[in-house]
Order: sequence, then structure tokens, then C-alpha cells
Amino acid sequence: MSILGTRVHRVEDPAFLTKGGTYTDDLTDERLAGALHLTLVRSPIAHATITSIDTSAAKQAPGVVAVLTAADCDLEPVLVFDRANKKMVRPYLATDRVRFVGEPVAAVLTEHPYQGEDAAELVDVDYDPLPAVVDVEAALNGEVLLFPEAGTNVATAKGSADPGAGFFADCEVVVTKQILNQRVAPAPLETRAAAAAWDDGRYTVFCSNQNAQGTRDDLAERLGVDVADVHVILPDVGGGFGAKIGADPEYVLVAWLARRLGRPVRWSESRSENMTGLVHGRAQHQTITIGGDRDGTVKAYQLKIVGEAGAYPAFGAALPNLTGMMARGTYDIARKHSSYVSVVTNTTPTGAYRGAGRPEATQAIERAMDLFARAIGMDPADVRRKNFIAPEQFPYEITDEISYDTGEYAKALDLALRSAGYEQLRAEQARRRERGDTKLLGIGLSSYVEITAGGGASENGSVEVHPDGTVTVLTGSSPHGQGHATAWAMLAHEQLGIPMEKITVRHGDTDQIPEGAGTMGSRSLQTGGIAVHKAAGELVELAKQRAADLLEADVADLVVDKDVAAITVAGVPSARKITFAELAAQEQLRVHTEWDAGKATFPFGAHVAVVEVDAETGKAAVQRIWAVDDAGPVLNPLLFDGQRHGGIAQGIAQAMLEEVTYDEDGQPLAASFADYGIPSAAELPSFDLVGMETPTDANPLGYKGIGEAGTIGSCPAVQNAVIDAVAHLGVDHIDMPLTPVRVWTAIQQAAGGAK
Amino acid sequence: MDFFRPDSLAEALAAKAEHADAVPIAGGTDVMVELNFDHRRPAALLDLGRIVELHEHGRQDGKVRIGAAVPYARIIDELGRELPGLAMAARTVGSPQIRNRGSVGGNLGAASPAGDSHPALLAANAEVEIASIRGTRMVPVKDFYTGVKRNVLAPDELITAVHIAPATGAQQFSKVGTRNAMVIAVCAFGLALHPDQKRVGTGLGSAAPTPRPATKAEEFIATELDWESPKPLADSVLRRFGALVAEAASPIDDVRGSAAYRRHALAVLARRTLGWAWSEHLGGGRRACA
Repeated sequence: MSILGTRVHRVEDPAFLTKGGTYTDDLTDERLAGALHLTLVRSPIAHATITSIDTSAAKQAPGVVAVLTAADCDLEPVLVFDRANKKMVRPYLATDRVRFVGEPVAAVLTEHPYQGEDAAELVDVDYDPLPAVVDVEAALNGEVLLFPEAGTNVATAKGSADPGAGFFADCEVVVTKQILNQRVAPAPLETRAAAAAWDDGRYTVFCSNQNAQGTRDDLAERLGVDVADVHVILPDVGGGFGAKIGADPEYVLVAWLARRLGRPVRWSESRSENMTGLVHGRAQHQTITIGGDRDGTVKAYQLKIVGEAGAYPAFGAALPNLTGMMARGTYDIARKHSSYVSVVTNTTPTGAYRGAGRPEATQAIERAMDLFARAIGMDPADVRRKNFIAPEQFPYEITDEISYDTGEYAKALDLALRSAGYEQLRAEQARRRERGDTKLLGIGLSSYVEITAGGGASENGSVEVHPDGTVTVLTGSSPHGQGHATAWAMLAHEQLGIPMEKITVRHGDTDQIPEGAGTMGSRSLQTGGIAVHKAAGELVELAKQRAADLLEADVADLVVDKDVAAITVAGVPSARKITFAELAAQEQLRVHTEWDAGKATFPFGAHVAVVEVDAETGKAAVQRIWAVDDAGPVLNPLLFDGQRHGGIAQGIAQAMLEEVTYDEDGQPLAASFADYGIPSAAELPSFDLVGMETPTDANPLGYKGIGEAGTIGSCPAVQNAVIDAVAHLGVDHIDMPLTPVRVWTAIQQAAGGAK
Repeated sequence: MDFFRPDSLAEALAAKAEHADAVPIAGGTDVMVELNFDHRRPAALLDLGRIVELHEHGRQDGKVRIGAAVPYARIIDELGRELPGLAMAARTVGSPQIRNRGSVGGNLGAASPAGDSHPALLAANAEVEIASIRGTRMVPVKDFYTGVKRNVLAPDELITAVHIAPATGAQQFSKVGTRNAMVIAVCAFGLALHPDQKRVGTGLGSAAPTPRPATKAEEFIATELDWESPKPLADSVLRRFGALVAEAASPIDDVRGSAAYRRHALAVLARRTLGWAWSEHLGGGRRACA
């Protein structure tokens, strides 16, 4: 029986549960001996010119070795997102102007971390406040510019906001709505940390990150050195959610300081720093317009996005493009139009966060479908069924280059509805409404399709069997909680028969593994995993060739006896067996391979959420959620469901709890865990995970990605459910998060302010 | 920063008399947050962790005396029967870790309008025991709070205990927050029936600059309730009670909620908690819970 598809316990966990992980801040590596500690002085003001910085008092403070400002720094300001307006470059330490609360202004280096905290307070920065640009309307009107030399606050834009005359002309019903996909904080449990040494003309950088090789390349470019002169090592990483991709400005600074000061430098941010210093996600202001006929046919859909790039355009500025590409969701809509403008504001820059561009697309189309269903008086499930892309329409082209690979959208929704007992739920909802129950029931649906391995579907891997029978797997992928060590070992074991416990998976060291794309965009299994699968297969072939002479048999007659991890002759029980270890003892037995699917895959699914809303207080509670998440065959249900659990929790959290807010001066209002609502178990029901497997043709095992699907599916289902609970009171939309105050206010407004 | 660690209450009071600017710290669930965020940097900390009498509870003059540093977890486990309202409030405080450290004394010392124990203390007519080298005094909790995060303590005084009469009737506590736990309340309400005194005690949280009772609501409901031969309450009475509780509030708009929402929600919480408590008093039902 194959190990694939079975519930193998995570090989990572015994260490995590006993001695604990070794994160960047825990390192005792000798290369970091005598390291200085970096403390950053960060701007307390959202928008200001810096008139002077006096570091003299700080330099006298105990333990201070150096205090540096932009005047001391020769790093070239960087255009973080390279297709943004070229003038919107970010300095590593603020030069003449600060553009968000939390922007680094000065670097304090001390012998011990606590000395840095004290000395940082002695750095005297004179700020001359400028009006803060906080909301996107103010950014668009451009009265105040963050980068006067750019002449605009628009970082990047695509498409006309006008779909053209006649776009909705043949529609019997057209509904339009402005909705907000609010700004949220990725909040990985391990905050960012980096440690760097410069020795013999070469940088060694340890950091908390999702892609060692890409970060090495970023560092080399920004430090102005050869790629060969940067060695990046990733220790254990405590979560990333997309927000730890590439070299953060702080990481570049840490490396630069190590060279400049001639001593290793370490930096580890506090939670407060993380909440303003790490990128935020989402932050899209959307206008959705949907048109169609009363029979339920949707004919035209327009999505207009104003995205918040934050103070310095990073990857977040580009994400509305992906949202636009995925705008149609699972529906075969005759006319689809999307456009976006990404603007800079005096807020934390935005970047990737679990789903990154796709949740925003799904939220918009799934809200649109509910609004349309409401307008024509049809059940939201029926409207969806009427418009799904049918199985026979695949591959379904969404751009000139990209097509949805495989999908069974109606089947997924029907399975979710059947699992949930949709008819009974609707009946219970009606009964409660009829008897005037204050505890209203809401039922929300979502159908989703998302793109995984969208940023490139290649990865490398190598498998080596050692003479002692152990195996080393090297991968360019970069786990930070997903369970690659377990999954990759399963893939190698499946073909070699060598026991899991003898297989070691290594990653995240650019000297050992010079190439790699890392872990993001739900790409790892279908890229890095398949590379290992392919390498193991090639290693078997190599072993057969070497064994053929020894066994005096034809290569075609050889097979792997997995029970003993050996090559033997097919159908001859008495034949000699030569183990992989014996072959390795004769000559190195190693295969390195590249895998490139050449295309992305498109997991899909449907979620049904049931919420109870207290009509008097507006408090909504998620009672149940049924999730059909189809990402093709499942390698390990434990890992697969783990990804769904975390994803669903984060999707529910965005719907119900989380929002990064600013006041009109650009001061963050939710910059600690006291004010920012990450979810706890007390807010979440037990999840009903329903299985469905539709393989892709993009790789030999049929795998698609599961890392982000839960978030993408659960968030719109929950938002739709809460709105559904109060729909009969005249409410057709409530922006997230659906806090008691917001739900109550919406009920009051729908009632015409009565009461 | 100086750090004092007295072994006895006498030593602590002496230290506080000598160092008026020393901030007392027990569980640290408020003080450490302020220190970590650099909201305050006191000249000295006065650690109460070793003082045995602050960590004990017992009976005194028929009342329950809870040492100022007794953590919420122990109030829940050991005093839930005698002080059901306070125990209900204590269950909503933070996380298990916070409940293992945080105490009523700390809540009173911080005097935040959002402190979870205040509504229950107000509804139960608790008294605060305050000590200094000058002696000990008792202050009714409704007179204890003087402003946002301010109280009647003189610079040389420490909170040593709260005294609460064991419940003689049903008690309730309810709050609205974004999350179910580990969140600062949008608003909270505590209620206690005192059949022995033929009155109802109330307490509002996160609804005014200080925690406060809803005096007019208490007066109204005292005249409406028939303690001799209890009958179910008319909905109009419950609603009037709720409206009077809302009137007692003077809430603000902030990041957690609007003033209008807080008033409305308090009216709902007051109506519901009174209904639950009165049902329990009638003997008809088990204790309801928000």
C-alpha cells in the first residue's frame, strides 16, 4: 500500500513539542559571536519633514557603539515594487521625510538589546508635521502628495474604470455596491528577525523568511554585491503568511550594518514594531456592479478597485492586478471588466497575506452574486448553479495565457449544501423569523476558485542515498510551518522504500541549495514536492542501471523491493537484492532535478457558513462551517486539513474580527494584540471538512495547492451568512469586520433609524 | 528604577509611605502592559507577590474578605457559590493565563472604566479595604472611583482587600466585546438581587469615565418588584429598567464602539440580566448565562 494519501504524523513535531524550535533570535551560531544589537528609532508621526536629528545624547548612553541616520547610509533607496512609479523609492532610514508611523529613522547599535531601547529614546528627531493622507479619496485627489517629485499619489494603475457603453445594456437587473476588503495584519507568531555577519568579503545572513534564494538575490542587489557574496540561512520560521517574502528593508540594513561596523549585527522586532513595520494585507476599496436577467443569468460583471499601497509601494500595489484576473470566480460570465488604481497613503506598506489578491476577488464576486440573487428574488444557491462554468468547458481561458485547468464547481457547491442540510437550515431560519426570535440564523455560501503556483511553477530538488542507508533530500522550497519535512520524506519513501525516519529534508541554505523559489502562493507541493517525486524516480532509474550489471539482468526487468529498499529482478523471488545503500557505497547515488509544470493550477471549492446573530446587540457568532476544498489528490490528510484549519480560521477572523485602522492623522488604532482581534479558539466552531478530489493535469500526481484556499472560501461565506441573517430587516451589505456595533448599526439604518 | 519586595504587609506599607511614587505590582496584568508600551516609567515598583495576607480570602463580620492579590482563577474556583456575580465577571477576564495572575485589587488599582470586576463589585455593594501606616479604612466601591483610571487612594495607601456580603439572591454579569475573551469590553453590566434588603444592585462598565451604579434604575425596580409574593415581570418593566440603565451611562465614541451603541447595548444587557435573575429568584429556572 502506498504511503501517499495516508495520515502520517508530522516528523517536525517531536522537536517542536519538546526542545522547541530554533528561530533566528535563538541562534547561538559562532558566526554571530560578539554581535551588536540593532534598535530602530521609528517615526511616531505619519507624515512629516525631518528638520534635524540629534544623536549626540544617544551616543553617550551606556552600551551604545554607534547611532546612524540616513546621512551615514550609502544604500541606494529602493523601488520595492519595480513596476510602481519610479519616484516612489524607499530609503532604509528616512532622509528628509517620514511617510508612515513606524518608518525607521535611525539605527542604534548596542552591546545588549535593553541598552538599545533606552538609547533609542535619546535620539532627538525634530519633525515638522505635514497633513497625513489616510483615505484613498484624499490620495486620489492628490492635494497632498507623499512624493511631490512623482506629481501623483498613484503608484500603479491598469485599465479604464469605464467598461464602455452598452456593457450592462441588455441586463434586466443591475446592482452596484461599494465594498471594503479591509486592511489586516498578517501577525505571524514569530515576529521578524535577522542576524548578519560580514567576513572575508562575504555576507552571512540568518533571517525569518519564506524564500532563502530570492532573499539572497534581493540582498545582493540592494547591498550592491555579487550574488556569490551573500549566504542566506533560514532557521526555523514561525509563520509568514506571505508577509515574509524577499528581503525586508530592515534585513538589508542589518547586513549593511554588519559590514559597516565590522561586527555581526542582530535584530529582532517587538510585536508593536511588527504591527506597523511588517506589511499589511488586503486594503482594497472595491466597486462591484453585476447585471443579468431575472431568470438568474449573470451577463456582465465589473470590478473597480482602489488599492492601498501604503507609504512605499511593495507587492501590495500589484495585487489588485491578480484580483482583476480572478474576478469572474467560478462563473461563466459573458462580459467581465476589471480595473485598478493603487495609491500611496501615509500608512504601513501593503504586501502579500494568505490568499494575496484572490480572497479579494472571491469576496467581491460572492457578495455580488448574493446582491444579484436578492435583487431578483432567487435563492443564492440557484443563482450560482445557473452561472457556473461547466466541467466540459475546461480548460477555461481567463486571459490570453492562462486557463483554469480543471473544476467541478457545481458538484462542490452541491456537496457542501448537502452536507450542511441546506433546506433544513433555510426552514429553521424561516421559523425563527416567523416567531420573532432575537437569535437570527444566517446561512452564507461561497464558491471559489483560486490560482496556486501562479508566480511560476518550477522548483528543484535532489535526493541522495548515503552508504549508511540514510537519505538527504534538498529542496528549493522553504517551509515555515507547512510540514515539508514530512511530505517530502513521504514522497521519497514512496518510491525508495527507505523508512521515513532515515530521510532528512534540508532547505533554506543558499550555499547548500543555490537555487529555489521558496514557499508562497500555495505552490510548494506541486512544485517542490513534485521535484522530489521526480528526483526519487530518477534515482530509482539510476540505481537500476547500476544494479543491472551486478544482477546480470536487463534494466527493464528490475524493480524496487520497497520492503528492503533494494533493487531486484521482477517476478524472481529468489533473485539477489541490491540495496540503495550498497549502491551508494560503490558510487555516490544522488539525483538533482528541476521540475517545471509550466502552468499554474486552480483549486476550488465551496463553503457554507451558519451564523447566529443577536438582533438586539448585533453580536454574530459562527456556529458551523462546512468546507469543500478540492485541491486534487491529498498527499497527507493531516497536513492538508491543517492548512484548511488555519486558513478557515483566518478567513473567519477577517470576516468577524480583524481590522487595522488609523485615525485621521495616520496614527494606528489597533497596533497591539489588545486592540487587534486575532482569533482565538473561543470564537471558532469546530470545522466540518468535506472531501472532494479533482486532479490537475499539470503534474504527475495531480496535486494543486491548499495553503490559502481555506481563507479564500470561508471569509465570503461568513460575511454572506451574517448579512443573510439580517437580510429580511432590509440589510443588503455590511462591511467587514462584522462586529456587534456594525451589525447593529446596519439593522438600525435599514429600519430607517427607528427605535 | 527601584524594585521593592517586602515580605509582609507592614513592610509594604512602610515602603509605600517612604516611596509614594512606587507603583504596586501583583499579577502585573495592567502594570506590565503600561511598562512594556512605555506609557509610564515609575521611579519604583513595589512587588506585593510575597505578602501572604494579600493572597488569602476568608470570612470577616459575615462578609467574604478577598485579599487584593487573590487571582481571578481562585475566585472562580473557590468563591463561585458565595459570590456568583463576581465569579461570572472573573470568567470573562482575559485568558486562563491572565486569570491566574490578575486580581480584583489590580482591577481596582488601575480603575479603568473597562475593568471586568467593577460592575460585579458595584452590584454587590462591595467595600474596599485600604491601608497605610496611618491605619485602615473601608470605602464603599461606588465611592472608590474618582475619574478615568483614578481612585481615592492616597499616595501612601495600598488596597489590601475587598469585602463582599455573600449573595442572598441571584446575580448576573454580561458584556459585549468583539471577541469572546481576551478583549477590552465594549460595555458590561452587573446585577445582583438583594432580597434581604428588597433591592437590586447594578454596575456599569465601559460606559462612563468611571464604573458606576445605575441609581435611578435601582430605585425604579425596587418599587416594581414584589419580594413577598414574586411574580413574573412585565416586559414593559424590564424595558423601563433597561432604559434607565442606559440613561445612567455617559459613554464615548471610540475605536471599540459608538456611544449610541453602548447605550443601546446596556439597555439590552440590563433587561436580559434582570429577566434571568428574576426568573432564577422565582425558582422557575436554572441560572441563565449570557
